[in-house]
Amino acid sequence: MNKKRNIVTILGWIFVVCLIIFSFINKAEKPPATAELYAMGTIVDIKIYGVNKEAILKEVIKKIEEINSYIDSFSPTSDIHKINENAGIKNVTVHPETVAIIEKAIELARNTNGAFNPLITPLSQIWGFRDKNYRIPSEKEIEDALNLTDYNDIIISTDTVFLKKEGEALDLGGIAKGYTLDCLKEILDKMNGERALINIGGNILLYGTPPGKQWKIGIKNPREDGIIGTLNIEGTTFISTSGDYERFFIEDNKRYCHLINPFNGYPADKIFSVTVVSNKGYYGDALSTAFFIIGKNEALQDVKKFDVNIVVIDCDLNVSCSEELKDSLMLENGKG
Amino acid sequence: MAKGDKLLALILVVIFIFAIGQYTFISMSKAKRTIIIRSDGEIVQQIPLNEKTAIITTIKSKEGTITMQVKNGKVHIIESTCHDKLCIKQGWISKTGESIVCLPNRISISIVGEERNEIDSITY
Repeated sequence: MNKKRNIVTILGWIFVVCLIIFSFINKAEKPPATAELYAMGTIVDIKIYGVNKEAILKEVIKKIEEINSYIDSFSPTSDIHKINENAGIKNVTVHPETVAIIEKAIELARNTNGAFNPLITPLSQIWGFRDKNYRIPSEKEIEDALNLTDYNDIIISTDTVFLKKEGEALDLGGIAKGYTLDCLKEILDKMNGERALINIGGNILLYGTPPGKQWKIGIKNPREDGIIGTLNIEGTTFISTSGDYERFFIEDNKRYCHLINPFNGYPADKIFSVTVVSNKGYYGDALSTAFFIIGKNEALQDVKKFDVNIVVIDCDLNVSCSEELKDSLMLENGKG
Repeated sequence: MAKGDKLLALILVVIFIFAIGQYTFISMSKAKRTIIIRSDGEIVQQIPLNEKTAIITTIKSKEGTITMQVKNGKVHIIESTCHDKLCIKQGWISKTGESIVCLPNRISISIVGEERNEIDSITY
């Protein structure tokens, strides 16, 4: 009888262990609500987890499409197109959201001493990055275009925007994706979102905590297929990267990329890529552009000022990162 | 009492075997990978991916056409009507969480697994 009792006790324990295993298995949670769309000149990948996922997904898509309709400079009905068309002529009444993004762009332009420049369009144009007619412009063309990139010429008054000189043109491509992610985070906060991952052309919002606690975000290898390393990130965070491999052309063995140095008018070539980890989306987006322009040492010096962290891949494919990321960065070759 | 104990023991054994079976089944299915093909944002095809999968298939969207090849557990694009051909230049992908996107054609090919991806997303 006693033996039997013991067996029952043992089996009872096994039962408890099974229950624990079961509870873990059941935590392999339900699939997310997902969508893939094309906006802001890129691909948008959305994954929303949790009870309210379908409703949140709907709001998220709505917001992305709304902001896209204001800022798409190629669309004749967009606010940005109207502002650019009327540069040097008259001010244009635009949606408050457009004003908000432009204000943020000016803020970042000031804080980066112009390394991030929302009026870079005339330069992008002469290098052929607007119409994909890539070419090396003359010194004179570069000089003329540089004269149309003073961000102090953006005049905002309540809901109107005016560019002082004809030929000046706004391009919010370096900040709007990050700004949009900020708005999406607000939606998730408001609708009690549990967890989400939203990737707008490489600009990522990580929201909440994934199973295993850490998000694993690959950083693209700027010269080969696949990733060069992985960032292990905890909690809600924004990640943005700027690199010379996305849009570029090669002439006489030299690579000319779409990120143009607003100080000299030539495509920036100090590093291959920079990834910014921040707690504000628009910061990460605009700062990745600015850091790409100023290069590794200056960028690493600036991280404290902006309260962000960065991973820099220099022109020898060496990977460096700011102090706080040292334990989060795993390189593919085993280092790190 | 003895009968009750026996019954209880039997129930526990059955539950135990069931749990082990379930657990093994879930572990085994972890290796499963699927290629998900989206055209204009909508899923148009799903292909189980393993070492033996060998397929060449053409995908259409409103914007254009690509041809992809699956071989040795990997996927790449071999032809595309787009101008920049960045999708072809991207080369092979094989890990869950990886994807190839042809932006001009609005076609994406991603590899997903039943377990959590090796990476959640990529910044570029």
